[in-house]
Amino acid sequence: MSMQRGSGPVVWIAIIAATCLLLFLFQKILWLVVPFLLAMIIYYFLRPAMQRLVLGGMGHDTAAALVGGGFIVLLLICVALVVPWIIAHGVFWQESLARYLDGGNLLLQKTLDALEQRFSFLQRASLSRNVGNEMAAFTETFAQRHIADLAVTLAAWLPSLLLAPFLAFFFLRDGRQFKKFLGRAVPNAFFEKTLYLLHEVDKTARSYFHGLISLTVLDAIALALGLWSIGVSAPLLLGIVSAVLAWVPYVGSILGCLLVVLVAATDFPADPAMAYGAIGVFLLVRLLDDFIFMPLTLGRSLHIHPLLTVLMIFIGGAVAGVAGLMLVLPLLGVVMVVGETIGRVVTDPRLQARHAHARRLQTAQASTDL
Amino acid sequence: MFLFSKEELSPRLAQIQALSLFSTLSLRQLKVVDGLLHERSYLKDEIIFDEGEEGQALYLLMSGKVMICRQGQPETGKLVELGPGMQFGELALLDDAPRAAQARAAENCTLAVFFRADFLSLLETHAVIASRISLQLARHIGRRLRQTVSGAAPQPAL
Repeated sequence: MSMQRGSGPVVWIAIIAATCLLLFLFQKILWLVVPFLLAMIIYYFLRPAMQRLVLGGMGHDTAAALVGGGFIVLLLICVALVVPWIIAHGVFWQESLARYLDGGNLLLQKTLDALEQRFSFLQRASLSRNVGNEMAAFTETFAQRHIADLAVTLAAWLPSLLLAPFLAFFFLRDGRQFKKFLGRAVPNAFFEKTLYLLHEVDKTARSYFHGLISLTVLDAIALALGLWSIGVSAPLLLGIVSAVLAWVPYVGSILGCLLVVLVAATDFPADPAMAYGAIGVFLLVRLLDDFIFMPLTLGRSLHIHPLLTVLMIFIGGAVAGVAGLMLVLPLLGVVMVVGETIGRVVTDPRLQARHAHARRLQTAQASTDL
Repeated sequence: MFLFSKEELSPRLAQIQALSLFSTLSLRQLKVVDGLLHERSYLKDEIIFDEGEEGQALYLLMSGKVMICRQGQPETGKLVELGPGMQFGELALLDDAPRAAQARAAENCTLAVFFRADFLSLLETHAVIASRISLQLARHIGRRLRQTVSGAAPQPAL
């Protein structure tokens, strides 16, 4: 969406302020916002399949039930298969985690040793030994300190995450009625402009989430190919996890990179060059993402000025932390459309006059036989 | 229950099919279009849209009458009066050009509103339906063009 006529600095300040306020409020109800956001992604992912069934002659509700219900059943089957498998391999996961952390430690140690050999002041500061001791202390107690917290957090989030597919099903089934329902609440005078606003919000959200899905697929494939080419294990899984983590700007990318480096360092403990190679591949994919994939997918959907994008990401992070980083852009996109259109509807004297005229007609008709 | 069972044409769908824009659509296609239409009620003398306003939607008259007139001149600037089954504001399906005249309810009326955004999304998701509507729209505009050339056009294209 481009900057519309009449969107002066006041409207823009209001849009940015509203985005910040919403971010602040949303972080308080993150347990609802995150499943809602996931449900939107699932909804826009499943909607084309439902539309094909409707075109094939199936009723709207039946198609929604089949597509939405099918997705929920598939998800439940996956959960039913994966959870027992994860529990059964609990010891293996714990060992793997320790192995990858050791691999990371080893890489860090070798890198610091190499630096110490090159720079004598680092050797004098015993950098390698000090960092090694710190890391060893951290990793030794990591499991005891964090696994329980992680399990409790997961258990707390599970019910609200399970809400996402059910919300998506209702979006599929009742989304159309919701739009009509909102439309009915709008007076005739504002109807055309308001429905235009709803269409624009829907278009923005649809293109954003479609863009996000495309970007994730492209990122996952590019990273998987890169990691596969240098011989890192499980390249596809790493590609997918890193691409999904990248939904959170900056922080997600750092976590994804860390993951890739840990796996590469563990796969090739004797060869730090492989880990550096994995970092190189990761950075290359991030560059491809920033300069080719992102403009082709998300950039086309939101049309927000790059400077404003970066500024808003920082503001989002400051206002609502990691959640703010993730939510700020889609929220800004929607608030931009809503703010600009409301501004135009409220400040249009002709529309206000028409509304007043319609109310007078209603009153006159209601009181004819009084 | 058959998922793809054949259904009867409901009175509502029959009313929509009677509109020239949708007359070539099948029952299934009509149901898709019906899901996109918004129904609005207007009181006599209520303004539906103004001359010069950015057009976003096509209006289909389901019941009652609508007058097309010059801006603010319902008495002297009356161009045409439309009855049930007729449509106006069709050019809004093509672009957001300003409306060429004012539309106001000549009596209490019910309108089905078809938005350009929905029409454009039909082009992507249901190309066959959209192409049939486009063909009917092109025929309608062509008919109006011939009437204009022959000097018999009762109303401007809105």
